[in-house]
Amino acid sequence: MTPIRRRSLLAASGTALLSQAAPRLARAEGKPRVTVITQWSAGSDGAAITALGDLFTKAGGDWQHNPVPGFTTDMMNKLRAQILSGDPPAVSQLKGPEIAAWSKIAPTVNLDADVAAAGYEKVVAPELIKLHKPFGHWISLPLQVYRINSIWISRKAADKVGVTALPKTWAEYNAIGEKMAKAGIQPVANGGTKWDNGMIWEIALSGISPAAYRKAVMELDAATLRGPEVLAAFEQTRKMSLWMDPNTASQHYSTFIPKFMKGDAGMLLMGGWVQGVYKKAGYQYSDYMTGPAPQDNGRPAFDLNADAFIFWQRKEPEFTAGQHLLAKLVMEKDTQKMYSGITGSLPVRTDMDLSDPAFSDAQREASASLGAAVKDDQAVLSLAHNMAQPNQITAAMIDVLTEFVTDHSITPQKGQARLAEAVDNVR
Amino acid sequence: MTGVRRRLDAALPLLAIWVPVLISIVYVVGFTLYTVWISFTPSTLLPDYGWVGLRNYSAILATRNWQIAANNMAIYGFCFLLLTTALGLSLAVLIDQKLRGENVFRTIFLYPLAVSFVVTGVVWGWLLNPGIGIQKLVVGLGWTDFRFDWLVDRDRALYCIVLAGAWQASGFAMALFLAGLRSVDADLMKAAQIDGAGPLRTYRRVILPSIWPIFIAVFVILLQFAIKTFDLAMALTGGGPGIATVLPSIVVYDFMFQRGLLGRGSAAAVLLLLMLLAVLLPYAVFRRWQHVRNARNA
Amino acid sequence: MRSTRIAVYLLVTVLTAIYLLPLLVVALNSLRTTQEIFANGMIGLPRALSFGNFADAWSGLCIAEHCTGIRSYMLNSFLMTLPATILSTFFGALLGYAISLWRFRGDLWVFGLITLGVFLPEQMKLVPWVLVLRDLGLYNSVGGLILIHVVQGISFTTLFCRNYYIGIPPELVKAARIDGAGFFRIFWRIVLPLSPPILIVTIIWQFTGIWNEYLYGVTFASGEHQPVTAALIALAVTVSEAPQYGVQSAAVLIAAAPTLFVYLLGGKYFMRGLTAGAVK
Repeated sequence: MTPIRRRSLLAASGTALLSQAAPRLARAEGKPRVTVITQWSAGSDGAAITALGDLFTKAGGDWQHNPVPGFTTDMMNKLRAQILSGDPPAVSQLKGPEIAAWSKIAPTVNLDADVAAAGYEKVVAPELIKLHKPFGHWISLPLQVYRINSIWISRKAADKVGVTALPKTWAEYNAIGEKMAKAGIQPVANGGTKWDNGMIWEIALSGISPAAYRKAVMELDAATLRGPEVLAAFEQTRKMSLWMDPNTASQHYSTFIPKFMKGDAGMLLMGGWVQGVYKKAGYQYSDYMTGPAPQDNGRPAFDLNADAFIFWQRKEPEFTAGQHLLAKLVMEKDTQKMYSGITGSLPVRTDMDLSDPAFSDAQREASASLGAAVKDDQAVLSLAHNMAQPNQITAAMIDVLTEFVTDHSITPQKGQARLAEAVDNVR
Repeated sequence: MTGVRRRLDAALPLLAIWVPVLISIVYVVGFTLYTVWISFTPSTLLPDYGWVGLRNYSAILATRNWQIAANNMAIYGFCFLLLTTALGLSLAVLIDQKLRGENVFRTIFLYPLAVSFVVTGVVWGWLLNPGIGIQKLVVGLGWTDFRFDWLVDRDRALYCIVLAGAWQASGFAMALFLAGLRSVDADLMKAAQIDGAGPLRTYRRVILPSIWPIFIAVFVILLQFAIKTFDLAMALTGGGPGIATVLPSIVVYDFMFQRGLLGRGSAAAVLLLLMLLAVLLPYAVFRRWQHVRNARNA
Repeated sequence: MRSTRIAVYLLVTVLTAIYLLPLLVVALNSLRTTQEIFANGMIGLPRALSFGNFADAWSGLCIAEHCTGIRSYMLNSFLMTLPATILSTFFGALLGYAISLWRFRGDLWVFGLITLGVFLPEQMKLVPWVLVLRDLGLYNSVGGLILIHVVQGISFTTLFCRNYYIGIPPELVKAARIDGAGFFRIFWRIVLPLSPPILIVTIIWQFTGIWNEYLYGVTFASGEHQPVTAALIALAVTVSEAPQYGVQSAAVLIAAAPTLFVYLLGGKYFMRGLTAGAVK
């Protein structure tokens, strides 16, 4: 190569290197930064995460959110790919026992200092704390909470059969169910997705006995899994499955909203997000009644579902600064109020005042029941929403439950035996 | 310079062929071997290069998910191939009648392949749902006894996937058959007509046998569709009701990604490839036999 | 014979109606608001025509913070699909030509191995691709996605092209070699000009396959660089919330427009190319 060409080549590569370095220099002395991966790309979830991003930006940070559309599995695939390629995001969505599982494959940030500074541990339900401190220190922060064991009754259907109050026990629920069936109304308005099938079983069990639920589902105690409460839950679920629309197939429950609102279907057992779904579909609070699902022992119980952020270790100082800033924001009362106001969830903090008009009566009631359930040791973790067990155990159990709900030839005894067997196989 | 030039001329084609060939072979062989390797490891969320022998295989084979899926694959594969081929052939024969507007008809039958499977699966889920779709429509029109509730029937839901899959792929089969029909030797046709054969007999005795190679081609391409059926099935039934309509590709996805068990999922994938081999090997042997026979007769 | 003609037309019309049914449902839903769909059922005629769905889908749609509609995602899809289609078609033609007309030792084995690639299910290839892209430094870029689709596409395109080129009389190639033409000259001057039918087939096949692909598009691209299939899924799949059916239907139609367009344009050639591309 001629001397001139060599020099200009050097000059060109030098400029290229400099121009690569320049933005990095500018960023290093710049703002705290986070890269975030979640599955919240649309609807109220998308709006809420965007609002959180705005808050972060206003607090002086650089917010880079990568929404992964699709199911949670697709988000986890993206997370897996990022970790495999050595570039984990600063923050990602994760929940339940998966937090512990994933934290073993990549290093996480120790958030004990941030949590202590905010005095957060005192205002979070102990069940949740266990999930976020799997190995002794905080590595993730809960973002919002939903109550799974809520019941929603169509006002029109209730009027048709003269029901004015929510059923307090499962016996009352079954009585209403029979009244509705006789009047030609579909008593159960749940859909046909797998998690929905698993969820009505867990609502039945946690309603029959939260203590049995804890032992059977959360601790996988073999004796309780084969015990009378679990059998009773299967029997209740069989009743409910026979009251479901035979055409549910694998349809999402929202497909049957028109039927519910018209009064042709009566009762829905579903988590608190339904409030937002109904609102978006154009319905008012007056179109339905809502409250806690039936509780046989009369004391409030709370079946928990919570979303959370896990913080992945990054070498770059701007990421560390960004993570601490986001952690601080997420634990603040105002942030939680804003977030839950948008999604219709409950704030994680048990010391929040929800009298603001942004919140509905349903949210206020649910939030109060969270505090009460925690005090009474009746707060449990949801199975169908991946809070109680890691995904491989959950999937095996949900398979048995969805088969039970859709195949009416399986007796409750057989269903119980199958569930116990499935748990033994994956223990 | 000419010596270098000539050597370049000789080398370039080799490079142009062998670089992509090697990349392609490394891709096919490498990815398959990697999957086989992982199936013998205790990998969960990330690849873990330990060794657990056949434990993943025995675990997967013991699950109801795989047993149902393998059974479904056999039924679905057979029915899908049969229905799509029959539909494709029928459509081709119809369109071969020199219809007016042939272009439009052809495009309509081909368009299902052009639209995203996820969306068409959801729409078929509505259409085949007795409370929302076709049954509701027909009953509403007055025929109150009409039943088309396969989708919610555990034993028949699989056939709904067959229907939706056939809808999607039959246009392609039709195109292949139509091309074959149009390329049949004109002399053969004339000879049959002179012999006084009617259209049906002409088709059966003369034309169909002469496009035999196309049947093979259609079967192979449709087989590939059947193995990979995932998006459509997930969107249409999600593996349900319950887990009655799971297919091997769904089991692979479920165990690999949803349950975070890469080792088990890879074992399922290897089993799926073995099932495929069970179909391809006889075909390869058959082709070889054909080749040898042709060579002998020539 | 007239009655059979009428019967044929009738049958074809009924069949086209069945084939068009899903598209009709989507088209009707694109003219209904999501609220109306939830009020009156998933399948139905629009009570009031609302064209706003299309505007929303095109430019107002929000995927979390990115409220640019599917317009920008369509662009991403084009940036990924066009190069991948062209490259995979080119290599397919090249390899098909080499295997069928230029012949070399072990060419049928090579062909068999490459063709086996069409059977590999997507899920099992995800993790290996992550590792490959990571080592090549192409993770999370359009280049990475293009590489994936080109390599995977070569299995199909080689299959189609080789089966087509088998039909070219080898004497043509032999004569040109005697005249002193080399590998590439024969390719450019003789083989390519004979190829348009099969090239259209591979282009159509590749374009629709890559355009509609979802798994890799979501895993190997981020945020606003994702392809349009990601945007469609964002509208459709949710765990607890209800999908926005009205806007989604409009978005689906918009997203399907390029592939439908390619089909209409290339339809005639598709037929001609399939004649030769698959008969062997």
